[in-house]
Amino acid sequence: MLKKKLLGVLAGAACAFGAGSALADDIVVGSVAGVTGPIAELVAPIVAGRNLAVEHVNAQGGLLGGDTMVLVLADSQCDPKAGVDAGQKVVNVEQVVAVVGASCSGATNGMVQSVTIPSGVVAISDSATAPSITELEDNDLVFRVAPSDAYQGLALAQLARDAGFEKLAMTYANDDYNAGIAAVFEKSFQELGGTITGNQAHEPNKASYRSEVSTLSNGDPEGLAIFAYYGGSGITIIRNSLENGLFDKFLGADGMYDISVIEQIGADNLKDNIMVTQSASDDQDASYQAFADFYQESTGIDPSAPYAAHGYDAAFLVALAIEQAGAAERDKIAAALREVSNGEGTVIRPGEWEKAKAAIAAGEAINYEGASGVVDFDENGDVTGVFSVNTVGDDNNWTSKLLK
Amino acid sequence: MIEFINFHLIPGLVLGSIYALGAIGVTLTFGILRFANFAHGETMTLGVYFTLSLIILTGLHPLVVMPLAMALTTIVILGVDRVFYKPLRAAPTVVLVMASFGLMLMVRSAIQFTWGVQLTSLSTGIVKPYIFFDALRISPKHVMIIIATILLMLVVHFLLTRTRMGKAMRAMADSPELARLTGIDTEAVVRMTWIIGTCLATAAGVFLAIDTHVETLMGYKLLLPMFAAAILGGIGRPYGAVAGGLIIGVVEELSTYAWIGDGPLLNPGYKAGVAFAIMVVMLIWRPSGLFRGRVF
Amino acid sequence: MDQFYGIFLYIVALLTMGGIYAILTLGLNIQWGFTGLFNAGIAGFLAVGAYTSALLTTAASERHIGGLEAPYIVGLGAAMVTSGIIAYVIGKICIRLRSDYLAIATIGIAEILRLVVKNETWATNGPRGVSMVPKPFETLPEPYNQICFLLLILATVGVIYLLIERARRSPWGRVMTAIRENEDAARAAGKDVERLRIEAFVIGSMLMGLAGGFMAHYLKFIGPNATDPLTSTFLVWVMLTVGGSANNKGAILGAMLIWTVWSATEIFTSRLPEELAIRTAYIRIFLIGLLLQIILQKFSKGILPEQRPGGQSTAAGQSTLAGRSTMAGSKKDST
Repeated sequence: MLKKKLLGVLAGAACAFGAGSALADDIVVGSVAGVTGPIAELVAPIVAGRNLAVEHVNAQGGLLGGDTMVLVLADSQCDPKAGVDAGQKVVNVEQVVAVVGASCSGATNGMVQSVTIPSGVVAISDSATAPSITELEDNDLVFRVAPSDAYQGLALAQLARDAGFEKLAMTYANDDYNAGIAAVFEKSFQELGGTITGNQAHEPNKASYRSEVSTLSNGDPEGLAIFAYYGGSGITIIRNSLENGLFDKFLGADGMYDISVIEQIGADNLKDNIMVTQSASDDQDASYQAFADFYQESTGIDPSAPYAAHGYDAAFLVALAIEQAGAAERDKIAAALREVSNGEGTVIRPGEWEKAKAAIAAGEAINYEGASGVVDFDENGDVTGVFSVNTVGDDNNWTSKLLK
Repeated sequence: MIEFINFHLIPGLVLGSIYALGAIGVTLTFGILRFANFAHGETMTLGVYFTLSLIILTGLHPLVVMPLAMALTTIVILGVDRVFYKPLRAAPTVVLVMASFGLMLMVRSAIQFTWGVQLTSLSTGIVKPYIFFDALRISPKHVMIIIATILLMLVVHFLLTRTRMGKAMRAMADSPELARLTGIDTEAVVRMTWIIGTCLATAAGVFLAIDTHVETLMGYKLLLPMFAAAILGGIGRPYGAVAGGLIIGVVEELSTYAWIGDGPLLNPGYKAGVAFAIMVVMLIWRPSGLFRGRVF
Repeated sequence: MDQFYGIFLYIVALLTMGGIYAILTLGLNIQWGFTGLFNAGIAGFLAVGAYTSALLTTAASERHIGGLEAPYIVGLGAAMVTSGIIAYVIGKICIRLRSDYLAIATIGIAEILRLVVKNETWATNGPRGVSMVPKPFETLPEPYNQICFLLLILATVGVIYLLIERARRSPWGRVMTAIRENEDAARAAGKDVERLRIEAFVIGSMLMGLAGGFMAHYLKFIGPNATDPLTSTFLVWVMLTVGGSANNKGAILGAMLIWTVWSATEIFTSRLPEELAIRTAYIRIFLIGLLLQIILQKFSKGILPEQRPGGQSTAAGQSTLAGRSTMAGSKKDST
């Protein structure tokens, strides 16, 4: 039968490839990302961040006894079906030590529950922010360097109140990331004494949001809080609001934090008028600065792209954990991951692989302080997250300031 | 009331013009080649990316380089027709639909491979609208889009009614068998269908890009509303497609107007469903569409 | 040895997902292959089935309704019943529409269903989806849990296959084929065409709902992104067209083959030179599209063309398809 034959060929080919990757000097780590899905433009910089971390590791001595770290990319398409399938491929066919990914919360949720947790493989997510991931029974196998959006919604609400906003209108793109963060914001802002004059979901990727912003402007709100990806609808909403003079003050979360917001709307229109929170260190921070320089130079992409720093941290942490464990073995990664990021020991910053390697070899404790923050995991494998507020600075670029 | 015109009616008309231009291509392929072309959205995206490249190369205004982008896109699409659709001319409709589905994937990934997935735009900054009588606000780019759409429609109207080819096309759309019997060169008609469809799709894409931004899924996201517009107007009816596109664009925007009370009539999360709801109701109430198109 | 074990597990996963798609494809085959109903709203029925079963069988949660911890059989049964009821309502309204129009109506309805799932957050947790859906056999140790789940799927596919084959050879099946080929003659022979078409539509949709239920349990998660029309509707159509419309073996083969192509191509493209890095993902989608074109051109009747009960040759099948396309072409303005 054709089917059998095909499977035979496939298995044979996969074996041949598999034998290749099992050679002594490659340590394979899965890199699952929604590269072709609906948020492809957001995922590309994140994957570039992961790849940069691996470049650093390999350029500065590699893993363990000089082994090369290899990231195998698998496409989760932002879809749980594809996420599970991608997980199966990296975990079983590629026999990876650990997995970084899988971009969207839904795809990550599916992948960790039906593949990585049962197989005993550590998955470290760089952009899934759904609170439901915290609650999984994960045998300490699921980690996140991206903070659950329960934290960021609160941080933005606090910021808005501190800035003196009493009445805000809000709108969110109806996807897994933005809907969650918007719900937290709404609740927190009201609890802090603010009033929400209107709260609307919108379907992302429409050509115009003029009618939405027009109805949202009823009730004299002082500004508009936008929870959306900059590309999906965020930029369009700001543009429609400004063009028609409906809103001139904007707040947003990290889906809005991208240089193209300033490039497309124009810095003059946004100066003093926009505040965007982002889960990253402040741009004066040494760790972020180190990362940003490397990233800009190596990829040519703006390092402030959402979650690019998290992508770097996730991959770098996996490398540190392998080094700390002393062996590329799946069951040692989780414990080692906690050891390299528990807040005690020699501080390691992005790009400092040689230093980390030497410290581990000398038996010293190390503590990775990532580009996206201090990345100390709590008992659920989550990070509490440090947030910065970003405004448009004099150089017509984002300037960040750490919150609290 | 003025708010209604500014923020619902005019945006609706602009969106409707874009749908309409795209839907003409859909309806012509549906009527003449007899299949629903899933790759039409990707044609649109390809046209936009050609325009983008030409703008970067020459630094000219989008509308100036658009004709050249149309020509380039048309060459690609005619090549696609030659290689992928021509061998399937005699095949059942569903096979052609599947082929267009495959092409949708191919064209999209080729665009993503060549140009990357990063979001860009044809022009940056904010252009404040013209204000008439202290209240009516129209953005210059909307004036431009609506005028350009009208001009393009006039050209299509001229092509379809005043030229031999246009008459042959309408004959094909009405009855392929009869057209073949009367000695119409069907391959030439097919080529012309692709040319018109592709040029208008490019225009629709560029207008959308001027109004918003450029990204690799922009055409795909318009596919279903364009189908809806084509159905609403009646399959094989270019004027129907225009009417259908305008109606769907306007009704989508009007659905969120605060008709009753302060809040939008319809939760904007459901806005995308408006086009489909109109389409389904139309199909049930009058399957031949507003302009009495073909019923299979 | 780990290598082989890993590949074995991957093949188990491949067959499981292929099997779930086979249920979808068999459901579509009843509608399109045997009865000629162009259902392009598969994603909608899949979503209804997936959410029904997921909400009934999960533990209670404040994020969504349901959470009854019902047994799987109840969840999956309810998935079939709910999608059946929805199919009946849609069928009652839309069934008289002919092929392409029914297709577009069903696409529209499926998209509206998706919007409902996304916007009615109180019931479905909106875009965040339903997490921690239980999976049959998950308490067994690796790899037996995966193997048992696969066997469950394959057994389901087998049972459905046998039932459909039997139905196809029965008088009911012959009437269906007659309706597909010449509706007027079937009507003249005193058959209640509308009712029979609705029956086929409902049965096919129930299978889609069942597949949706299985999918939710397999993924342990269901969200709106899992019911994207690209991978939940159009891919199923590709499977049926490639495998062979109106041939149940072809439907199963198409599902397995296309899912394998969809999934396994990545193993190869991820090994392309590193300079291409992220771009390999786009090459993969391109290759999938190209492969589909090649299959369509080489086997425009599907790899396993239709075979009539009684063992008539494929020539009959070919003339059927040809007949159908000219029929579609010549019928117009029939309202």
